[in-house]
Amino acid sequence: MKITRIILSFISAVVILFSTSVVSFAKVVGDKIVLGAAISLTGKYSSNGVHTQNGYNMAVDRINSMGGVKVGGKTYKFEIIYYDDESNPKRAAQLAERLISQDGVEFMLGPYSSGLTKAIAPVTEKYGVPMVEANGASRSLFTKGYKYLFAVLAPANLYLDVAIDLAVEKNNGKPVTVAMAFEQDAFSQDVRLGVLDAIKRTGSKKVIDDKLPKELNDMAATLVKVKQMKPDVLVVSGHTKGALTAIRQIAEMKVDVPMLAMTHCDAAKLSKQHGKNSQYALCASQWHKTLTYKDNFFKDGMKYAADFEKEFGYDPPYQSAESSAALLVFKDAFERANSFDQKKVRDALAATNMQTFYGNIKFAEGGQNVDKPMVLFQVMCDGSGKCENKVVAPTKWASAKLIHPIPKWSER
Amino acid sequence: MSKNIFLYSAILIFGLIAPFVFPAFKVQLSILCVLIVLATTWNIQGGEMGYNTFGNILFYGLGMYLCASVQVGMFFPLAEWTESGGEKTFVHTPAQFFQGMAVGLVVAAVVPTIVAGLIGYAILGLRGHYFAICTLGLGVAAGEISGGIEIIGAGQGFTTPPFPEVGGLEARGEFFYFLSFGALILTFVAVRAIYSTRFRLILNAIRDNEDKAEAMGIETMKYKIIGWMVSAFFCGLAGGIMGGLVGYIDSTDVAFDGREMGVFMVLMAILGGKGTLWGPVIGATVFHIFKEGFWTFFLGWQYVALGVLIVVIVIYFPEGIMGWLREKYPEKFGEVIDEKDRKAQVELK
Repeated sequence: MKITRIILSFISAVVILFSTSVVSFAKVVGDKIVLGAAISLTGKYSSNGVHTQNGYNMAVDRINSMGGVKVGGKTYKFEIIYYDDESNPKRAAQLAERLISQDGVEFMLGPYSSGLTKAIAPVTEKYGVPMVEANGASRSLFTKGYKYLFAVLAPANLYLDVAIDLAVEKNNGKPVTVAMAFEQDAFSQDVRLGVLDAIKRTGSKKVIDDKLPKELNDMAATLVKVKQMKPDVLVVSGHTKGALTAIRQIAEMKVDVPMLAMTHCDAAKLSKQHGKNSQYALCASQWHKTLTYKDNFFKDGMKYAADFEKEFGYDPPYQSAESSAALLVFKDAFERANSFDQKKVRDALAATNMQTFYGNIKFAEGGQNVDKPMVLFQVMCDGSGKCENKVVAPTKWASAKLIHPIPKWSER
Repeated sequence: MSKNIFLYSAILIFGLIAPFVFPAFKVQLSILCVLIVLATTWNIQGGEMGYNTFGNILFYGLGMYLCASVQVGMFFPLAEWTESGGEKTFVHTPAQFFQGMAVGLVVAAVVPTIVAGLIGYAILGLRGHYFAICTLGLGVAAGEISGGIEIIGAGQGFTTPPFPEVGGLEARGEFFYFLSFGALILTFVAVRAIYSTRFRLILNAIRDNEDKAEAMGIETMKYKIIGWMVSAFFCGLAGGIMGGLVGYIDSTDVAFDGREMGVFMVLMAILGGKGTLWGPVIGATVFHIFKEGFWTFFLGWQYVALGVLIVVIVIYFPEGIMGWLREKYPEKFGEVIDEKDRKAQVELK
């Protein structure tokens, strides 16, 4: 067979290619601490992936320019190796493996979304690589007994249960009817579990419980039902696309509902993209710039927002803020561990107790941040049509009063 | 024939020592094996039989869910494992893990085969574009439906049992590598054996002119179904392995990943040269290396590069790498030009 020779030469070419492409980085090269991150730069989470990356980069630049990380009397600077996970869990797990075993990364930052974090966590856990993640909120991440996973954010089930409590409160303590529409994805389904808990707790009733497809572009069927059933609260969660789709179609179909609770309003830049149509939407958020937490690097939320806007040209959503916070946590842990030993850094991370511009950070046994409550903000517009997000709950942080019920479309 | 043995043993030896020579690339190599399996089995339909299917991803996803479900369900209540996104934690002992995996893989291969038989009976009467569109729908529907089934995790996904703590850090990678390499060898040997029988000729007859094949007394439907069942068997197996390797199954992004895997298997077979034994193998390898390379060095541009690659394949290598080589060096493929005949034809003009 003559073809044999062609195939043989082909195989040897493959071997050569593989053997030459073994490039090895180490965790600490010279004065650099190399962190690895798989980020969704393309695919359905790409907008949030970019928010995450911007948050990481912002913090890296800030920490490096303000003296870096001091370990063992030497100053180190952060550097991040990024890969694009294409919003795909399979790819994310593969990249985590690659970052650790090929690139030699010994410390990881999280990806965007719960699903991808679920795919990566087993890998980092296996290799004992500490991962501080800022965008995987699914409750089930924190019940697996992971030892090397630390999340600076509050778990997903806490996102919108406050909204149900708020609705009950506004209904004079009487139970309400709730319509729910959630994307078929790890994060949104976890938010749903939280809402279900709240419904049970308050004796409320769910009247619609729809699952929406991924790549959410149409939820008209749900909204038709909402028009018929007239629930007290409509809860929608489906990352950025879910928020955009909901607002667009609610406005198009003139759906009247006393309370509209969502996630990802700030990441979707709702108030900018949909202006007055997004008015009165109530949004769960891990962070808001008006909160009064402080640290030495970004000062406070307002300063962070201003700096971020200057650098990237838009108001930072909480996804960016929490990502920046992840770096602050790492810096703090490295300095307290005073070592690059993975176990020591892990123990230092577990003992974290600090305040950042983003909020207090203290990890529970499972790795979730237990020291930072969620906030709810409402999109509010002034007469000229300029819209802003204002915190309305919890009362401690509120900068405006909740507008309830939402005026009917015919009266706007 | 001696050269052939030389070639096969070279590949076998490379396959066996690869994870130890390139320990950092174990996962990539495992995925490469799975990709080759998928491309090779797609080629049975797309290449040999002329039925462009986008439905093989159905068997792959089915195998993935089945393997993981069996592995969990044999020892623990499956519904509790997946409840609330998998909040409860159960731990497999090493013996349970491997037993579960073994039984799971058998189920993952057998059930899709049966499903392929049933579906094939229903839709293999369609031809050309109609068949392609129909199978495309199958994959998409399976993804959406499985995303609504609570017992396999629905939208929250299914975390497969973590690898037990045996044999140190590298054990997991080596286990899955040899599993996928084994699946590759099994697939290749089986397909090669099938191709050396009359079966391949029948498939080719169906591709070239189905009506004529039927007129010649070939029960085309029977062979089409059998061909698809063979593909389903190995796709299911590959899916089962991949599920364990990834560790997390998502309905549309990992299991019924028609947008990526479903398209890639077609692309790889065409790139290598469809309708050949070696084409899909070469295609998958080139494709995988190309893709990984772009991922590393041209971050953010990999899909642009992929688009360019597709355009280049379609315009310059419509017959794939093997087809191109065959045209360029026909004598290496055992094709001889009869000089006398050629001259005779030239003189006729």
